Amino acid sequence: MVAFVILAALMLAGGIGVVTLRQPVHAALALVGTLLALAVTYVTLQAHFLAAIQVIVYAGAIMVLFLFVIMLLNVSGERTGDKLKWLKPAAWASAGVTVAGLVVVYFLQRQPLPGAAVVDGALGGGGAERIGEVLFTDYLLAFQLVGVLLLTGVVAAVSLVQRAAPETRPQRGSAARSAPHEPTSASVTGVALDDELVHGGH
Amino acid sequence: MTHDPLWITFIKALVVCVLLLGAFAYMTLIERKLLGRFQHRPGPNMVGPGGWLQPIADAIKTIFKEDLNVTAADKFVLVLAPAISIVFALSAFGAIPAGPAGSLFGFNPWVMDLDIGLLYILAATSLGVYGIFLGGWAANSKYALLGSLRSSAQIISYELGLGLSVLAVIIVAGTLNLREIVELNIWSVSPWLWPGLLLAFATFVISGTAEVNRTPFDLPEAEQELVAGYLTEYSSIKWALYQMAEYVNMLTASAFISTLFLGGYRGPRFLDALIPGVSEWPFIWLFVKMAIFMFMFIWLKATLPRLRYDQLMRFGWIYVFEFALAAALITGAVVAFVI
Repeated sequence: MVAFVILAALMLAGGIGVVTLRQPVHAALALVGTLLALAVTYVTLQAHFLAAIQVIVYAGAIMVLFLFVIMLLNVSGERTGDKLKWLKPAAWASAGVTVAGLVVVYFLQRQPLPGAAVVDGALGGGGAERIGEVLFTDYLLAFQLVGVLLLTGVVAAVSLVQRAAPETRPQRGSAARSAPHEPTSASVTGVALDDELVHGGH
Repeated sequence: MTHDPLWITFIKALVVCVLLLGAFAYMTLIERKLLGRFQHRPGPNMVGPGGWLQPIADAIKTIFKEDLNVTAADKFVLVLAPAISIVFALSAFGAIPAGPAGSLFGFNPWVMDLDIGLLYILAATSLGVYGIFLGGWAANSKYALLGSLRSSAQIISYELGLGLSVLAVIIVAGTLNLREIVELNIWSVSPWLWPGLLLAFATFVISGTAEVNRTPFDLPEAEQELVAGYLTEYSSIKWALYQMAEYVNMLTASAFISTLFLGGYRGPRFLDALIPGVSEWPFIWLFVKMAIFMFMFIWLKATLPRLRYDQLMRFGWIYVFEFALAAALITGAVVAFVI
């Protein structure tokens, strides 16, 4: 319980940091802290596998790519004047609805939700074997569909970033000179692709 | 198997950290001496008998060097980044088992025995990239930023090869627990698995070398192109923390390779005929195997030139990635259809 309170406080602090910090890199770091605290919460619940996956996928891959894009675009400081006027009220509204829903559920429905027992029984404490078994039997269709969705994301990303092939081959001299530029575009493409892949997973 | 009390675990964690840092200090010396031998020169031999006190002199020098204050830097992140590097480098090693259960005077010779030990090490090492990444960004300098972007892209790319080559071992072992993988001895399962496992071993060693930024993949330190990459604005103790992290990562990589592919803390069983039970002795076998891989890292550094950046990316994405995928597929097919 003590551990949970500390971790929840850390997660809340991280979450507040994400939306209030002005520097995008700091905000991303706050999100990394939140995700790590969540992973530790999984550990306190004995769900080690989930914790490891949480760290590898979210903190180790997705957030690194977020930071990568922030640094690559060299976003610094905040930009005033939101282009999307409706975004701020919409964010407040959705946050309000979420909080209201949680409050209602907390005060009206003191028992665990019926779905919780099912999930708990299916995951059996979150060990790797049990999750793998459930994933490849009961939820195989959903699992496959997510795979197809990711593939769609990858194909879409590739088609978006692909440039038309140049009409004429560059001269030998210029090819040798332009060779060092090649990796930059290649790495950018690789990152964009990965980022899309990650977004497809959400 | 019994679990150790919490205070014993704490002491063991402390001992592992101290040993790793001591190993770091002496690895720098051994590396320089070996590089000297490779290049027909003596290497450091002045401080103390045979030069063996050199790390102490280095430590004193590094600590008392002026810690340069980068005025344009993001101060908080500049300090945070090397700390992240060393913390995750040190914590990754804790899951490596160094001997059979209860072989350390009745205690277990490991800090943590996790069911997901393998994933834990991958997770901890994947977080180490933040150190390099943020360090280069916080310095607020073009060379440092470019260097850190490059290194991070390298580490992320080769992490895929690393993860995929581990898959072959997981398929054969059917567990993520490192101790169980060692006890199983993946090579003894079936000779049909050897091609796939050998391929996985090769890709794992290559991507492991790239992950710890060693030659021929030491692009972060490509000084003729980027000054010193993400390390450009670092000096004194913060710079030393990055060096520590690099060597601790090398040690972890050596131990991880040994544990997954070479029987970890188990010695060769045929030696039991000479000295009964010698293959069960803790520490010694893991130490020997780690030493072999550390020597390999230094040998590579003395032998191979650095890759160009586009070669590095092409090699990682086209060869390492595909071969690691092939290793997993072959192993999976053999497990499914042959055995």
